[in-house]
Amino acid sequence: MKFTFNWLKEFVAFKATPEKLAELLTMAGLEVESLTPLREPETNQSDWLFEVAVTPNRGDCLGLAGLAREVSALTGGQTKTAPVSSPGKGPDTAKRINIQIDTPRLCSRYSARIVDAVDVAPSPPWVRFRLESCGIRSINNIVDITNYVMLETGQPLHAFDLDRLPARRIVVRPARERQKFTTLDGVERELATDDLLICDGDSPAALAGVMGGVETEVGAATRSILLESANFDPTAIRRTAKRLALHSEASHRFERGVDPEGTLAALDRAVDLMSKLSAGTPAAGVADRYPRKPKTATLWLREERIGKLLGVRIDGKLAVKILRSLGLDARREANHNRIKVVSSVRRPDLCRETDLIEEIARLHGYEKIPTTLPPLRSGGKKDHRLAWERRLRSFLAGEGFAEVINLPFTTETFNHSFVGLWGDAPTPVAVMNPLAKENAEMRLSLLPGLSENLRLNLAQKAETFYAYHLGKTFRAGPDGESEERQCLAGVMFGARPRVGLRHGEAATAGFLDCKGLVEGLLDLLHGAAPVTWSGETTDILHPGRAAALRSAGRKLGHLGQIHPDVCDRLGLPPFFLFELDFDGLLEYAPRQIAARSLPRFPLVERDFAVVVDRAFPSRQIVDWIKNRGETLIEDVSVFDQYMGPPIPEGKKSLAYKVSYRAEDRTLTDSEINSLHQTLVEQIGRLFGAQLRS
Amino acid sequence: MNDSLEALRGEVLEHIQKSDSEKELEELRVGVLGRSGKVTLLLRGLKDLPAEERPRAGEQLNQLRRLVEERIDTRLVAIKEQSRERALKEEQIDITLPGTRWERGRTHPLTLVIDEIVDVFLAMGFEIARGPDIEDDYYNFEALNIPKDHPARDMQDTFFVSNGRLLRTHTSPVQIRTMERRKPPLQVIVPGAVYRHDDDATHSPMFHQVEGFMVDDRIALSDLKGVLSHFLRQIFSQETGVRFRPSFFPFTEPSAEIDIQCLICGGESSAARQTCRVCKGSGWLEIMGAGMIDPHVFKFVRYDPEKVSGFAFGMGVERIAMLKYGIDDIRLFFQNDLRFLRQFG
Ligand SMILES: [Zn+2]
Repeated sequence: MKFTFNWLKEFVAFKATPEKLAELLTMAGLEVESLTPLREPETNQSDWLFEVAVTPNRGDCLGLAGLAREVSALTGGQTKTAPVSSPGKGPDTAKRINIQIDTPRLCSRYSARIVDAVDVAPSPPWVRFRLESCGIRSINNIVDITNYVMLETGQPLHAFDLDRLPARRIVVRPARERQKFTTLDGVERELATDDLLICDGDSPAALAGVMGGVETEVGAATRSILLESANFDPTAIRRTAKRLALHSEASHRFERGVDPEGTLAALDRAVDLMSKLSAGTPAAGVADRYPRKPKTATLWLREERIGKLLGVRIDGKLAVKILRSLGLDARREANHNRIKVVSSVRRPDLCRETDLIEEIARLHGYEKIPTTLPPLRSGGKKDHRLAWERRLRSFLAGEGFAEVINLPFTTETFNHSFVGLWGDAPTPVAVMNPLAKENAEMRLSLLPGLSENLRLNLAQKAETFYAYHLGKTFRAGPDGESEERQCLAGVMFGARPRVGLRHGEAATAGFLDCKGLVEGLLDLLHGAAPVTWSGETTDILHPGRAAALRSAGRKLGHLGQIHPDVCDRLGLPPFFLFELDFDGLLEYAPRQIAARSLPRFPLVERDFAVVVDRAFPSRQIVDWIKNRGETLIEDVSVFDQYMGPPIPEGKKSLAYKVSYRAEDRTLTDSEINSLHQTLVEQIGRLFGAQLRS
Repeated sequence: MNDSLEALRGEVLEHIQKSDSEKELEELRVGVLGRSGKVTLLLRGLKDLPAEERPRAGEQLNQLRRLVEERIDTRLVAIKEQSRERALKEEQIDITLPGTRWERGRTHPLTLVIDEIVDVFLAMGFEIARGPDIEDDYYNFEALNIPKDHPARDMQDTFFVSNGRLLRTHTSPVQIRTMERRKPPLQVIVPGAVYRHDDDATHSPMFHQVEGFMVDDRIALSDLKGVLSHFLRQIFSQETGVRFRPSFFPFTEPSAEIDIQCLICGGESSAARQTCRVCKGSGWLEIMGAGMIDPHVFKFVRYDPEKVSGFAFGMGVERIAMLKYGIDDIRLFFQNDLRFLRQFG
C-alpha cells in the first residue's frame, strides 16, 4: 500500500514528522518499506511517499481512512473525514436502476449511484500526481476518481457507461460454465461457475470484484455513468483472481476483506469529487441492496490472560484504553476482572480473546515487554544422527573432500541413469510446476548433482575434484506415498589434492582408494554387524570395478569407477564414486564401544604367498582361515598382490600375513612353525594354489 | 733409551694431531698400544734392562701409554664434533619452502551456520526434530491455520509434486508432527531444507530454515524475547541490538518480526545508514519471524490452549550466512564451485 504524507494528514491530525511516522507504523506492525521525498507539481510543496507492507490480516489498512484510525490510535490524534455534500438532482437513482443479487453469500451488498452530464477529460494535476505517486496510472477523470476514492476509503469502485446497460437491471450472479467474457484489458477469458458476474439483465458487464468489461467501459462518448460500490466474498474473489491470474487493486482489497458498511460513504465521496471537478452531475438518491448485514459479537477478555500470554502486567484500565483507541466498544467489568468488547465490522480479524491481546501488545509496544528466560522443564537430548553426521563430515574433510549442497531437482534423463539405492526401476517423484521444464523430477540419487559439480569445476580448471553430498533422495513408493532416504555420495576425480612441493607424479585415485575411503567410514562407525563386499552390476559402474556393500543382507551402498558409456554420455573424464545409504549406516552404527584389555603375550607373524588365477578373489583365503576357528590365529590379512614375470600369464601372486598369539603363554617357534606349515599346505590343496616362498 | 722414547713420543703425538678420522686413530692406537704396538714392544723389552733401570723406564713407558690414550680420546671427541658440525651444515634445508600436506576438505558454509545455530539451542536445552521434505497440504498449511483460499498462502509460493503433495514451504510442519506425537513440555528445533517457487539473486527455490518452538504451561511473549535475544547475541555479537516488532503469521498470535542492528553500517548514525546497501538505510536487518503459537494450531494437535502456551520461531539459514560472510548472491551456495567452498570450513 502506497500513500503520501500530506494526503494522510487530510484524514488524521498528528504532529509526527515523516520519519517518526514511519517508525511508529513499523513498530506497530505496518512495516514502512520505503520513504521517499516528493514535491507536488502545482504548489511545489514537499510531500513524502510511504510504501507500507500491509499484512494479509489487515485489509482495513488498504485505505487512508483505515490507516488514519491506526495513526490516531498510535498518536492520540483525531481522525477527520472530508465534508461531503452530494444530494444530487433529478429522478431518484433507485427508480432508474434495479438491483438484483442472486447469491447474497457471495455479494453481501451492492450500492450504486448515477452521475449524468459526464464530461470525460483528463484529471487535474494534483489528482494525477497522487495517483501516479501511489502507483496507479491516470486514465481519465471518472476512472481516476474511482481509484482516488478507493485509495482513500479502501472501498473499490467501478464506473459503467450507463447507456451500455440498456436493461437497467443489475444482476449479480455466478458465471455459466465456460462462459466467455472480455475484460477491460481486452483479453477474452473463459469463466467458471465459481466466478461472480455483474450483469445488465442477462449480459455480463463486469467480473465482480476483479475487473470491468470492455463493453461497458467509460470513454469519451460516455454521457452518464453508474457507479458501483459493492461488497464481495473474499474467498470467491481470490479463487477467480488466482485462476485467471488477474490481480487488480480491487481484487487485492476484496480478498483481504472490505467493510460492507462503507459502500455509501465511498459513493458519496466519489460523486462529490466528480461534481467538484466538473466531471458530471450526480443524480439524486442511491440504489442499495444489502441482503447480508454482518453481525457483531461479544468478546470477553480475561485480564489475567493478558499477563499470562505477554509476560508483562497491563491492568484492565490500560487495556480498555488501548482497545478504545482502536475504536472498539470496550467496557471493564472490574468485579469479574474481565473486559467486554463488541467486535467491529471494520476489524474482522479481531474475533477472539487472543486477537485482542495481540492488539494490546502491539499498541502498548513490544519494546515495553520484558525479556525473561523460561524455566527449563524438559531437559536437552543427545542427538544420535547429528553426532554421526558431524563425525562423518569431519572424517571426510580430513580425507580432502569438500561438502556440496545441491538442489533436489533433476532431469528425467539423469533419473533414468542414476537410480540411487532404490533398487530396480524406481518411480521418481514428479514436480508438477517446475521452474524449468527439464528439471521436473526429484532426484533418485545424489550423483547427478555431484557430476554437474564436477563439470562446473573442470570448466573452472580444477585439476582434481573430491566432493561429497549428504542429502535426501526421493521416490514415489508403490502405494503412491513418497519415500525419502538420507544418502551419502561422493566423487573422486584425479589425484588427491596436495599442498606443497611435488613428489613425483601424484597417483590418480583408483578403485582401492575409493574402497579404502568407504572402509574408513565403516571403521569410524564401529559397525555393530559385519559387512560384506560383493561384485556389483549396475549400469552406471564399470563392470570390473564395482562393488556393493551389504550388512545382514541389506544393501548399504555401492562404489566403483563410473562406466565408460556413462562417461561418454555425460561428456566427463573417468572418475570414481560411492553412494551409501546413510539411514542404513546409522542403524549399523553402534552407540556403545566395548574395550578389550591389552594382550600379555607377544604376537608372532608368519607370511605365505600363493599363486592363483587372476580372477581368484583374495578374500576367500582370509575368510577360510578366519572360519577355521583356530584360536591361536589372531588375525590374517592380504598385504601384497603381484602380476608379471616370473608369475605365469593369467595368474597372480598373493601374499598373506598370519598373526599368531596365545592368551596364556608365549608360543614357541616349533609350535608356530608346525601350525603355519599345516595351514599353508591345506590352502595349497584347497585352493589349487601353488605356494611361493 | 730416553732419546728414542722422546722421539717416539713426538712422532706419535704429532700423528694423533694430524689424524682426522676415527679409523686412522684406531689404526694408530693399535700401532702404538696394540699387542705388537711400539709401546707394547718397548714394555715387553723392559725385562732385558738392568734391574735398577727398570722401574724408571717402566714408569716413563706407562706415562707415555696413558698420554697417548688420553690424546687419542680427546682427538676422537674433536673429530666427532667436527663431523657432526659438517653433517649439520650439509643437512640444512630451505625452511621457507611450503610444508607438504594433503589438501584439507571443507564443510559447506550452510552446514557451518546450521551447526552454530543448532549448538546455541542445544546448549539451552532444546532437542532436534526432523520431518519429511515432501509434505501434504494438511501439515504444511491447514494445521498451521492457513486455510485454502486464504491470502496468507500468497506469502509462500509452492512447488507441487505427484499425488497432490507438495514440497514443504517451511519447517513448521514438523511443529505439528511433533506436537501430535508428544505432550508438553517441549523445546524443539528443526533444521532443514524448504522450497519456494522463486529464483533470483536473493531467492533460491531451495533454502534452509531452522524452526524452533517451546510449549509448556506458562510460556509468555517475554520468554520468546529472552530466548531469541540470547540466541541472536550468541550468533552475532553480545553488543548486537535486537528489535521485536509486530507482524502477522497465520500460525502465531501475537506475531513478531525480529530485526538486528545492521552489521554493515552499525545502524547508529544516520549518515552511515543512508548509503548502506545492506539495510537500505533503515539501520535494521530482518532476521527471523516468531510469535506465540495460535490457539487454532493447538486445537489441531489437541492441546488445550487454556492449559498450555508456547512460542515458535523460524529463520532462514542462507540469509544469516550471507550476512555473516558478506555473500551477495544466494546461488553461490548451490553452484559448489571449489573456489567458493574453499573459503569456508
Ligand atoms: Zn546498514
